[in-house]
Amino acid sequence: MVGATEQKRRIGVYICHCPTTVVDSADVDELREFASRLPSVVVARGCEAGCSERGQNVIKDDIRNLRLDRVVVAGCSPHTHESTFRRACRDAGLNPYLFQIANIGEQCSWAQRNGNGHKPKALLQAAVRRAYHLEPLQSREVPVNPNVLVIGGGIAGIQAALRLADSGHKVYLVEREPSIGGRMMQLDKVFPTLEDSSYILSPKMTAVACHPYIQLMTYSEVVDVAGRVGNFRLKVRRKPHYVDESKCTGCGVCVANCPLKRPSEFDLGLGKRKIIYTSFSQAVPNIPVIDRDRCLYFDRGTCRVCERLCEHRAIDFDQQERIEDIEVGAIIVATGYDLFDPSPMSRYGYKQLGNVLTSLEFERMCSATGPTGGAIRLNDGSAPESVAIIHCVGSRDRNYFDYCSRVCCMYALKYSLLTRERTNADVFQFYIDMHCCGKGSEEFYRHASERGSKFVRGEVAEVTDQAITAEERGKLTVVAEDTLLGRRIRIPVDMVILCPAMTPRRDTEEMARLLGLARGADGFFLERQPKVEPTATSSNGVFVVGCAQGPRDITDTIAQASAAAAEVLAMINGGKVEIEATSAAVDESLCSGCKVCLALCPYDAISFIEDKKACQISDVECKGCGVCVAGCPAGAISANQFTDKQILAEIEGLLADAKPPPLAV
Amino acid sequence: MVQTASREARGPLTQAFFDRIAAVAEGEKLKACIQCGICSGSCPLGFAMQYPPRRLIASLRAGVMEQVLQSNTPWLCVACYTCTARCPSAVGITDMLFPAMREALLMQGVGVPGELQTALENTFRHGNPLGEPPSKRADWIQEVDVPVTDLSADPREVDILWLVECYPAYHVRAKETVKALARTLHALGADFGVLGQEERCVGDSQRLVGENGLFEMLVEENGKTLDRFQFRQIIVTDPHAYNALKNEYPKYGVNYPVQHYTQYLASRLEELRPMLGELNHTITFHDPCYLGRRNGEYEAPRQLIQAIPGVTFVEMERNRENGLCCGGGGGGMWLDSFAYEYAKERLSEKRVREAARTGADVMAVCCPNDLLRFEDAVKVVGLEGKLVVKDIIELIDEARKG
Repeated sequence: MVGATEQKRRIGVYICHCPTTVVDSADVDELREFASRLPSVVVARGCEAGCSERGQNVIKDDIRNLRLDRVVVAGCSPHTHESTFRRACRDAGLNPYLFQIANIGEQCSWAQRNGNGHKPKALLQAAVRRAYHLEPLQSREVPVNPNVLVIGGGIAGIQAALRLADSGHKVYLVEREPSIGGRMMQLDKVFPTLEDSSYILSPKMTAVACHPYIQLMTYSEVVDVAGRVGNFRLKVRRKPHYVDESKCTGCGVCVANCPLKRPSEFDLGLGKRKIIYTSFSQAVPNIPVIDRDRCLYFDRGTCRVCERLCEHRAIDFDQQERIEDIEVGAIIVATGYDLFDPSPMSRYGYKQLGNVLTSLEFERMCSATGPTGGAIRLNDGSAPESVAIIHCVGSRDRNYFDYCSRVCCMYALKYSLLTRERTNADVFQFYIDMHCCGKGSEEFYRHASERGSKFVRGEVAEVTDQAITAEERGKLTVVAEDTLLGRRIRIPVDMVILCPAMTPRRDTEEMARLLGLARGADGFFLERQPKVEPTATSSNGVFVVGCAQGPRDITDTIAQASAAAAEVLAMINGGKVEIEATSAAVDESLCSGCKVCLALCPYDAISFIEDKKACQISDVECKGCGVCVAGCPAGAISANQFTDKQILAEIEGLLADAKPPPLAV
Repeated sequence: MVQTASREARGPLTQAFFDRIAAVAEGEKLKACIQCGICSGSCPLGFAMQYPPRRLIASLRAGVMEQVLQSNTPWLCVACYTCTARCPSAVGITDMLFPAMREALLMQGVGVPGELQTALENTFRHGNPLGEPPSKRADWIQEVDVPVTDLSADPREVDILWLVECYPAYHVRAKETVKALARTLHALGADFGVLGQEERCVGDSQRLVGENGLFEMLVEENGKTLDRFQFRQIIVTDPHAYNALKNEYPKYGVNYPVQHYTQYLASRLEELRPMLGELNHTITFHDPCYLGRRNGEYEAPRQLIQAIPGVTFVEMERNRENGLCCGGGGGGMWLDSFAYEYAKERLSEKRVREAARTGADVMAVCCPNDLLRFEDAVKVVGLEGKLVVKDIIELIDEARKG
């Protein structure tokens, strides 16, 4: 309660309402009436669309005319609206940290249409009491390091890096594989234009390779992240190529003469590569790497053919892994996706029956640079006479992945066209619903239908090689219900192509922890706000684009990568970023020096000062998360904006009019 | 509550069905169906159903159920769980939809096949679907050459309470598996007892066949009986009993640790292994639906078979989660002639042919339904002398002697 001895406050309360959100207009008057009777409140108004210019002006005028020293808005989430109202306060000469939201939007009217009863009042009272104890804080501005890190060298990362570098900013592009190019490089054609994937990607890759502002770090991984928006400090592990990049000319003599082969990762095991290899012929950079685990030299000290034949003496078996430090102001995460391995869905026979392929394997088979030179072939080398394409393998399935993978319908249609063109085979599309929503997609669907794809609406129950008729002998039989005919069917085919779900990368969790990112229920990185902040994340200065955020096609990925580049540019060009004033501080007189907080702090912001025998928090590193405040056994740490006084006042406000529960007898 | 958009007047049958769906906790989820048809494509008897599952759900959503309920569909499901396991929308076809239809039919007394009626009445009167007297439940103990504690006569604390279940206790062929298990448990020095005439049917098939009231009565009776005895865990001979005790009984507060006998023996495999002599057989294994697909236990039975020296183990093409049902589950044991009328072939007959195709001379099973159905099927399809059906415990028992 506000005691008589306490300082007088002048609090303004605004009950926000608009047609579909927050409180019904009938309730506004009641709430306003309630607020006006709370201690220290000098004005309480209903305010239609407080976030509009008109609404903001009402608040600004009151601050000036009524000399308000605290402002409370009962309305939408602080997540989306706090910055708007804080700006209004600042414009009217009030410290923006003297503003408080009562979130009756999300917590009352969104959650329940009727019967909110006492709850909005409780929240409002809590906010007013808390506002009473708010203190003015100074947000800090720090200069932004104009360099940018892009993690992932697929189409998303390439696009973002080029946009940023073209605007004259230094970009570090870190890629785990020996070459950039990513998934798009593995594709044959792209829908709906049927252009060659590598044909449209290669020029961008080359542009990256020779761009003066891009420092390409392939075969490398980010292993540590420190700092915050504007000034990140990172450690990048550079894996040894065992080839000196400064000497290698990419002539390929070493690769041509290497005596051993193993299945190529890039071709998903359908083709072979050497032990010293580049992932594919248009690799960028065009520097080979040695597969240390399988190299004869590393295994038993023999061979050394590559070393002997290299005219440029570029082979360096002594190369060591090294850690490189880089500093950037912003990070774009473009780490892409993994394709679901459908072997657990044993009914489809993947890895058990011959000629059952995943979509990506089929892409490699179709590619002119792939293991068959673009010929669609069965294991015995012959062309298929019939092909079944199974949609939604693991997608839209609560046993595996709930979501739709968005691109499968379209690439399945592409496979129809390619297969019809190259083999004359009958193509059966087993689908649940055709999701062809992008620009030109419906037309593409029609085109593929006219070219004779056979559509069967029904999820496949099983693929089997156990024939029950002569026609099925030696074939793969696809069993399903044709749901439109209401009939169970068995269709013998030569080849089955599965369209597996696009899934989060296996190491998404690790990456999320490293960068402080949140993940959605689907496992992908979560954007800050799906509609209005689709590339920003919960971590300021870190952006997520492309399939790292969820399944999407190349068109959307490129648009999103460019959008994130624009976000970063806006930040860099401002020169400075504002850092939240919220931070924690140690009361040295209470600190016992137990160092519990040191281990708790996720940002390494706390250090122990030996001569004071006390901990100290760097307010540049501190993000105000409050973990140390809760963890300190001596209660020596407090977080401004979340002081005990403020929180207790808020709780008192919440409970002020609550009836005590009946006492247990 | 599933609502209907249709203007079809609801007959008492349809009303009874929708009332039942509304009463089930997960009834709402039936609406999540995306009509992909994997259920109908996967159903081993879907081809014979007038309304295969997908079409059945489409009818349900449209609110037009009268014809569906009066079709052959409700009685053709053998509760093999393939549709439910594969359903991308997690619709409870086996556990909820079919039992609800059957319950409506049973309540209204419409079209209930006579053979089923008899089995249910037997369960109600005698505590077992065979109609055998409870007093004879433990008679097999006289036929076995090792001591078996009948707790109904000699109540004492035991480590393992073995629920023998009905077919194994009474059926002349299935009884052999019980004796073999008794001998093996004895050889392992297990401290076990049976409930003798106090035992009643666990009732999982009665539940799936729609007699929810009967099932609840059995849960209550069995719960009270189990309460009176001291034991550490239950083992069961029948995977259906395993399923009920593991997944259904706890919903009624009857909660005891339970293992199928294969799981128990697999946990003691290192002690069992030295006892096993050589058996020269090529063996294939049929996964019981309610041990495998429903409860995810695929390894324990395989470990036991493969532990026998001299055995060559071969898999059927459809195995584990894709295994074909014997046709006896979900009341299928009591609907055999009904199903045969429409399907013209028993699933068990299909399955023994699949087993024979592997080149195996022994088809191993570990569910009493499987044993009885496959043995019949072997005779029907003329595989006698080529394929022998044996319970895993019989193989273990033989190997132990040999």
